[in-house]
Amino acid sequence: MKRYEVSNCLLCNSPMDEPATWKTLLMNLFPRTICLHCEEKFEPYENTDADSMSLYKYNEQMKDFLHHYKFMHDILLAKVFRHQIRQHLVKKKEIIGAIPMHPEKQKERTFSHVDELLKAANISYQSPLEKITIESQAEKTREERLNTPPIFALKANQALKNKSFILVDDIYTTGTTLNHAKHILLEAGAKSVTTFTLIRG
Amino acid sequence: MKLKLSKQNKPQFYHGIIIEPAIPDFFTGRIWTRTNTPFPQAKIDNYILHNYFTTKPGITKKSNTIFFQRPHYTCNRCKNENQQEFIHYQCSRCEKECVYCRHCINMGRVTSCTDLITWNGPKPLNHKKHVLDWSGTYTEAQNEAANQIKSSIKLKRSHLAVAVCGAGKTEMLFPGVLHALNKGLRVCIATPRTDVVLELFPRFQKVFPKTTLHALYGNSPKQSGFPQLILATTHQLFRFENAFDVIIVDEADAFPYTFDEALQKAVHKVKKQNAPITLVTATPSPKILNRTKKENWGSSFIPKRYHNHPLPVPIYKPLWSYDKAIQKEKIPRKLIDWTKTKLLNNEPFLIFFPTIHLMELATPLFQQLNESILSVHAEDVERKEKVIRLRNEEIPGLLTTTILERGITIKNVQVAVVGAESKIFTSSALIQISGRVGRNANYPNGDIVFFHHGITAEMDEARNEILRLNKEGFGKE
Repeated sequence: MKRYEVSNCLLCNSPMDEPATWKTLLMNLFPRTICLHCEEKFEPYENTDADSMSLYKYNEQMKDFLHHYKFMHDILLAKVFRHQIRQHLVKKKEIIGAIPMHPEKQKERTFSHVDELLKAANISYQSPLEKITIESQAEKTREERLNTPPIFALKANQALKNKSFILVDDIYTTGTTLNHAKHILLEAGAKSVTTFTLIRG
Repeated sequence: MKLKLSKQNKPQFYHGIIIEPAIPDFFTGRIWTRTNTPFPQAKIDNYILHNYFTTKPGITKKSNTIFFQRPHYTCNRCKNENQQEFIHYQCSRCEKECVYCRHCINMGRVTSCTDLITWNGPKPLNHKKHVLDWSGTYTEAQNEAANQIKSSIKLKRSHLAVAVCGAGKTEMLFPGVLHALNKGLRVCIATPRTDVVLELFPRFQKVFPKTTLHALYGNSPKQSGFPQLILATTHQLFRFENAFDVIIVDEADAFPYTFDEALQKAVHKVKKQNAPITLVTATPSPKILNRTKKENWGSSFIPKRYHNHPLPVPIYKPLWSYDKAIQKEKIPRKLIDWTKTKLLNNEPFLIFFPTIHLMELATPLFQQLNESILSVHAEDVERKEKVIRLRNEEIPGLLTTTILERGITIKNVQVAVVGAESKIFTSSALIQISGRVGRNANYPNGDIVFFHHGITAEMDEARNEILRLNKEGFGKE
């Protein structure tokens, strides 16, 4: 990764002329990708539950970010939060499990947004699950979400006995997706499953 | 599917489908991503199968000729060649590495595995019976310039029209546009700013009542029929190719157009090969002037406003450390005094700020003076409404960034520029801002004040240019 790879803010396109400091050089931090002004607009989420952690609140700025990343397919934006995601996950001893997309959906989008976030943060991960429904949670009402049929299935030949997992997704709204995934892993014999999302809706 | 399509590029005699008129109306001259049209996908695929569309890849890769040289990409929609804006990624659809263009991503992503389609079926007929319904009159200078523009269009020669702010540039275009339309030519008037499109559209609609006319800008509503005349922001030009017989670029020097090479290429992409370009501007850059000389363009020049009064000359007023004062939640005294007099005299005013941030800090302070003072910036959703409210005298004044520097006409408006020494206020921006003042024949004068923290060369350049134009228009005074 080159240090001056990004010369303009990825969100507002204003030029960033910040000099590299000793700290960024010595600690081998990721270079900045967005300007301070844009960064201020993201509100951090105060975690109350150690089992389901999130980084940011779902405010206007985050809505905009997610729209550009997930629906306008701007994959480069996966790099925006790589520093924060890495900081949170790098020292964890549990296995990082990414929430998968349906293969057909992934073909349509051309990338899996959760995988790309983890790749950008340079975190190694596994995908023990596969998605079996094609419908999206975002299109449903709250009641429909709470009574959904199974969303995920376990992939074949997975040895999960006595292992701990952190499941990673982009957004936690009602928790349906993550609870389904959690349930399946626990049933298959996992020791403990916690969740981590970028956004809390 | 893709293979099958590329094999069928020979003309066929029997196509076997009846063309829905809406499709050629929409697609003639346009270049569109295959999967993102306003029509059902099955329908489009059927037309492609029957050879009514030509397809080409979204991004062309020129392979390395020299060993180890990086491949060179070009986006076929926006003609962007800035290699930093091409992003490689692992594509799940093709299961290999693909590239996309970040420059025009806001119009829907174009990747190396996206097909772009252009219409090559029968084209809709152009009407030749257009009417100009305009009862205004020209000044002598306007008349001359209008005729020069018209004759340039007749000769298919490119043209540069320079006219001071408020000279009535739009009206000068009418005869040329009418001539082209009646010849059955397709005309595009492009301008860098959405505000200008929004202002021009109702005027053109009124003046050309028998012409199908579309206005295109970001998030513009869907419009039907085959438009022979198009008003568009320069960004929307990316979506056309080889489409226009005459292209007029209004405010040719405005911010995105001068700096963005891709936009200039876009202008050349959308016109037909021999189609002339007409540039209209108040502040031609040296680059444009050089080019017009070299390529022997037609030109016209109007140093006077239509109401025959000289341009208001900016006044300098020092406003030391205004940014610190505003950060301490205080408006400097001189600026308060100026605003208060305008409020007292009931004159609408515009105050320009160099950054959105500073403007947002200052807004509540100004609202202490008068609650209904509002602020606008580029991302403001209510920008349109706020300007209209100022024009209708519902609010006393607006704080703004450079976004309102051109295309805005408000009766008897008074203008102040805070921080005129900032980098963003170039001489051409300052000339444009000064040009907002005194456009109405009943109020030919008005305040234009540059509040500054030190005078810059750009400020002097702007002032000298205005003085020069006044001298040229009115002789020695």
